[in-house]
Amino acid sequence: MISKFEAFAALHVPGDPVILYNIWDVGSAKAVVAAGAKALATGSHPVGDASGFGDGHQVPIDFVFANARRIVEAIEPLPLSVDFEGAYSTDPKQAGDNVALLAQSGAVGCNFEDQVVGGEGVHPLDQQCHRIEVIRRAVGDDFFLNARTDLYLKVQDHDDTLVGQVIERGKAFADAGASGFFVPRLADPRQIERIVRDVPLPLNVIAFPGAPPKAEWAAAGVARISHGPFPHRALMAQLTEAASAAIN
Amino acid sequence: MASNDLFQRFAALHVPGNPLILFNVWDAGSALAVAKAGAKAIATGSASVAMANGFGDGQQVPLEFALANARRIVEAVDLPVTVDFEGAYSAEPAEGARNIARLAETGAVGCNFEDQIVGGEGLHPIEVQAERIAAARAQAGPDFFINVRTDLFLKAKQEAHDEAMLDEAIARANSYAEAGASGFFVPMLGNLDFLRRLCAESPVPVNFMTYPECPSNADVAATGVARISHGPFPFMALMGQLEAVAQVALA
Repeated sequence: MISKFEAFAALHVPGDPVILYNIWDVGSAKAVVAAGAKALATGSHPVGDASGFGDGHQVPIDFVFANARRIVEAIEPLPLSVDFEGAYSTDPKQAGDNVALLAQSGAVGCNFEDQVVGGEGVHPLDQQCHRIEVIRRAVGDDFFLNARTDLYLKVQDHDDTLVGQVIERGKAFADAGASGFFVPRLADPRQIERIVRDVPLPLNVIAFPGAPPKAEWAAAGVARISHGPFPHRALMAQLTEAASAAIN
Repeated sequence: MASNDLFQRFAALHVPGNPLILFNVWDAGSALAVAKAGAKAIATGSASVAMANGFGDGQQVPLEFALANARRIVEAVDLPVTVDFEGAYSAEPAEGARNIARLAETGAVGCNFEDQIVGGEGLHPIEVQAERIAAARAQAGPDFFINVRTDLFLKAKQEAHDEAMLDEAIARANSYAEAGASGFFVPMLGNLDFLRRLCAESPVPVNFMTYPECPSNADVAATGVARISHGPFPFMALMGQLEAVAQVALA
């Protein structure tokens, strides 16, 4: 029998992407399971919004672990990936310990981002690679480390120069032990094709309102499409609408 | 705003015939979404909180989690917040009262407090429940809206609701009010004639809970009800909507 981690890793097929409709608690997880999901992923922003803590490491790490544990239990036997932001530490050793603790919650993977949480810009490439190496050693092989670059979020012009920098990061993250490469706000199928060709990792992009059709992204070689904060935002708008009808 | 002012504001919203509408929430995010709709007050539902977090209903949500969740909701909105606190996490009056006092410390201005024996059968005898309420009132002080819920009607099928049950509900409403209850909550009572008599004879504002195919808000308001809440239904409906949109996204 293959492990939950192996099952999750095998879902990342370039050209036939796994769709992750991001969730934030057990209730949302169960609803998305009922919709036929093959795997689940939290979004840090929705968890922060739902709980009221806010995004950017504002959700206490123990809450993140407990929430992950509750979701893992509720969705058994499906795999869960947790959006773990910057692993709650710029210190590689501490970040590694944190990801190892996250793995103990039963999650089979996590997002790990290169932006300086609470600061400006992204970590220098060599530092970020060092963090990934230390985390990989701490958590072992059977954990899907989805290394995210926030270059597209931090830089205005999504031009060829930026694509080059993204590719440089993707290759270096792969060498450091990443399992996947995540580029939020990347959308242009031609840029996706270039990145997929040059980076030896399954590519993850975020679907957003007005994004190109998923088929176009799939054709460009995307292996994973997640939804970030948008499911929670859309649902809360529906709640406001329902409440409005009930109250007025 | 000082919680004392919030309490006054909340209590004043209970107007017989012009009920306060509470669209029940479960976390800070849902509280903000309901506040945005123009809600005058926020109420949690214990079943929703339990389902959202993977706990069972019936005080399976750990007390510390319930208190922390309440605090986060209070911090997220500028509105009065009332918490569905089930049986105050203890059948023992002094301990239940201490728990309610701790809930008041979160900044919540009120709570639901039910008379069913949580985890057991039936209801607490009327004098036991009155003692629990009196203890809670003594601990929480005057500025806390204790919405005492009777589960007489919840425990019986709709077609079994009869005059004898109504008589007992009215006796409970009077006894609870004397013990210090601020409001009287009758989930699953939907008979408009019964509601009219209850509202006429209860010394405290009456809370009706909507349920699928229940009478309209206007009809309920006309009986003299002062508060209409929605229990677990907003959460359940929303999770149905989430399933539907996820299905489209996953296809």
